[in-house]
Amino acid sequence: MTLSLGERWTLIDRISKETVTFGKYEHTLKDAVGELTVKPLTGIPVAIAIMYCFWSVFGSFAGTLMTDGFFVKLFDGYWLPWIQEAFPGQGSWLYAIMVDAGGFESGEFVLSDNCFEAFGALTSGLFVAIGVVLPAIFIFYLMLALLEDVGYMPRLAVLLDTVLHRVGLHGYAIVPTILSLGCNVPGVTATRILETKKQRFIMMTLLAIFIPCGAQIGIMEEVVPNLLGWILLYLIIGYFIFGYILNKIVPGKAPEFLIDVPPYRKPLLNNVSKKVWGRIAGFFKVALPFVMLGCAIVSLLYLLGVIQFIGDLLAPIFVGWFGVPKETAGPLVAAFLRKDLAVAQLSVIEMTEYQLITAVVLVSIYFPCVATFAMMLKEGWKELIAAIGVLTIVVFAYGGMIHLIGILLGVA
Amino acid sequence: MNYDETGTVTDIDGDLRKRVAGMGIRVDKRLRMITKQPIKGPVDVIVDEAETSLGLELAERITVEVD
Amino acid sequence: MGHPNVGKSVFFNRLTGANVTESNYPGTTVDYTKGWMKIEGEDVELVDVPGTFSLDPKDKAEDVAVAMLHETKDAKVITVIDASKIERGLYLALEIIEEGYPVVIALNMWDVAWDKNIRIDARNLERILGVPVVPTTAISGEGIKELVSRLKDTKPVEVDDIVTNAGGLT
Repeated sequence: MTLSLGERWTLIDRISKETVTFGKYEHTLKDAVGELTVKPLTGIPVAIAIMYCFWSVFGSFAGTLMTDGFFVKLFDGYWLPWIQEAFPGQGSWLYAIMVDAGGFESGEFVLSDNCFEAFGALTSGLFVAIGVVLPAIFIFYLMLALLEDVGYMPRLAVLLDTVLHRVGLHGYAIVPTILSLGCNVPGVTATRILETKKQRFIMMTLLAIFIPCGAQIGIMEEVVPNLLGWILLYLIIGYFIFGYILNKIVPGKAPEFLIDVPPYRKPLLNNVSKKVWGRIAGFFKVALPFVMLGCAIVSLLYLLGVIQFIGDLLAPIFVGWFGVPKETAGPLVAAFLRKDLAVAQLSVIEMTEYQLITAVVLVSIYFPCVATFAMMLKEGWKELIAAIGVLTIVVFAYGGMIHLIGILLGVA
Repeated sequence: MNYDETGTVTDIDGDLRKRVAGMGIRVDKRLRMITKQPIKGPVDVIVDEAETSLGLELAERITVEVD
Repeated sequence: MGHPNVGKSVFFNRLTGANVTESNYPGTTVDYTKGWMKIEGEDVELVDVPGTFSLDPKDKAEDVAVAMLHETKDAKVITVIDASKIERGLYLALEIIEEGYPVVIALNMWDVAWDKNIRIDARNLERILGVPVVPTTAISGEGIKELVSRLKDTKPVEVDDIVTNAGGLT
C-alpha cells in the first residue's frame, strides 16, 4: 500500500509527536550571521567583500608571490639554461618542439632567454603547468573549499538569484559558474543541479564561452595583470548579454529557485585538504599531459607553416572585423589548441592596450578546451552542436561589438 | 507577509504542494520569513529551524496567514 | 539515499575509504559512485547517490538517485536523515519504505539537532517504523559502526503496520 501526500504528512505528524520533542530553540551567533549574510542590505556588501578578498588573495598569492617570486626565477634562471645545454641537437626540429624554437636576431640564431618565449614542451609547457597554473589552481581551490565547507555558496546563490533570473537561470547557477573558474570540466557536470534542459543548455553554453578557467586566469594574471580587470569585465558583460538573448530564444521553461540553505559550519581541515588535493590531482591528470602535448603540436604546426598559412588566410577577418593587428592571427589560430600559451604569445606582440584586451577576450571566448568539449559531449551531443553554433555566432558578434565599442570610445 | 513575521501556511497552489513537500513546507506548518530580496528576488523562510529560499513566483503561490 | 547536504558522501567515504567530494551545500554530488565495504568479512557493494527531496525527481541529479534506486530492486537502502529536520526526512524515508525497500535510517547530524534542543526518541521511532534507526554524526564518525552492524536487521515493512504502530491516521 502507498499513502497519499496528505496521509503521509498526517502519519509523520503522528510519529513526530510520539518521538520528537522540540526544546526551546536559542538563537545562536551562527544564525545571526546566517541571516545577515542573506539580507540584501547587509548581505550584498558582505558578498562584495568576500569576492574582493578572494580576488586579491588569488592575485597576490598566485601571481606575485609564487609565480613571479619563485617559479619565474627557478625556470628562467636554472631550468631553461640547463635544458638548453643538456638537450641534444640544438636547431633540430625535435629540439624546437621539446625545448626552444629560438628566434633570429640580426640573422643569427639565438636561444630564448625566458620560458614564455621558448615554446617547447619541456620549457614553456612545463613552466606554464607548474609555475603559473599550479599556484593559481591551488589557491583558487583552497579558498573555494573553505567557502563551500563553511556553507556560504547557497547564500551567495540567494543573493544572486535576482540577476541570474534575468538570464533564464536562477541563483544556484552560481555553483557551476564558480566551479568553472577553477576548471570547466566539473562546472559542466555541476549543471545537473539545474532543473530543466533549457537551463542546463544556457548554463553550459555560457560556461564554455565566457568563463575562463583557473589556468587561463592564472596566465592572464601573469602576463597582462593590469588589463585583467577589463578582460573579466568584458567576459561578465558578455555572460549576461548572451544569457539574456539565449533565454529569449531557447525554448523551454526556466523554473523558479527553490533551495535549502544549510547552517554555517566550521570547515574541517581534513576535508578541505583532501578536497583541494583531489581537485588539483584531477586537474593535472587532465591538464598537464594536455598542456605539454598542446605545446608540442603548436610548435610542430609553426614549423610546418600551417599556423602562418591559416593566419594569413584569416588575417583580413581579424584585422577588419575585430580590429586587432595581423600578427595576432597566428596566436589566435594556435589558441584553438592552447588558450593559455596564446595569451602569452599575444602579450609580446606590439599593439594598443585595447587591441590586446580584444585579442585576449577573443581567445577566452572561442572554443572550449578539449577536456570541456568531451565533457559536454557526454552530457548530450545535440546540445554540444547547438552550443558550438551559438559559440561561433557569439565570437563574431561579441568580438565585433568590442571593436565597435572601441571605435566609439576612440581607442581602437 | 513582511520581514521577521511568523505565520501559518493555509494553502499551497496545485502541483507546487508536491514540490515543496520534500522541503518540509506544507499546510498548517508555521514559518518565519527572514528576508525578501529586492527587485523580485527570492524569499527566505524558516520552517522547523531549516532555512529555505524560494523564488518569488513560487512564494506567491503559497498562502500564509500572518499572526 | 537522503536529502541533499545531509552527509551521504561523508558516510560513503567513511565506509568505503573512497574520496568523494563533500561540501556544505546541497548538490555537491551529482553522479553516483560505487564502492566496496566489508561487513563481517563479506564484500558488499555500496552506492553513493546525489541527494533528493522526494522520489519525484526535479532535476537531473535527483533523477540519477531515483533511477539508481529503481534499478537495484534488491538493494538495502541506508536513508540518511538530517535529525534537525526530521519531519521532511521521514517523508522521503516513508516513500522509500512504501516502495518495499528494506531501509536503515541514519539520524545524522545528531550533534546539530542536539544543539538545537531537538530530542528524538530513536528507540520509539524504531518501534513505530519497524526498521533500524541509528543516531549518527558522520563527520566525527559517531554511530557509523552501529549503523553497519544494524544493516542485517532490516526488512521490508508494510506501511499499514507503521500506521497501526503510530496509532492510526486520525
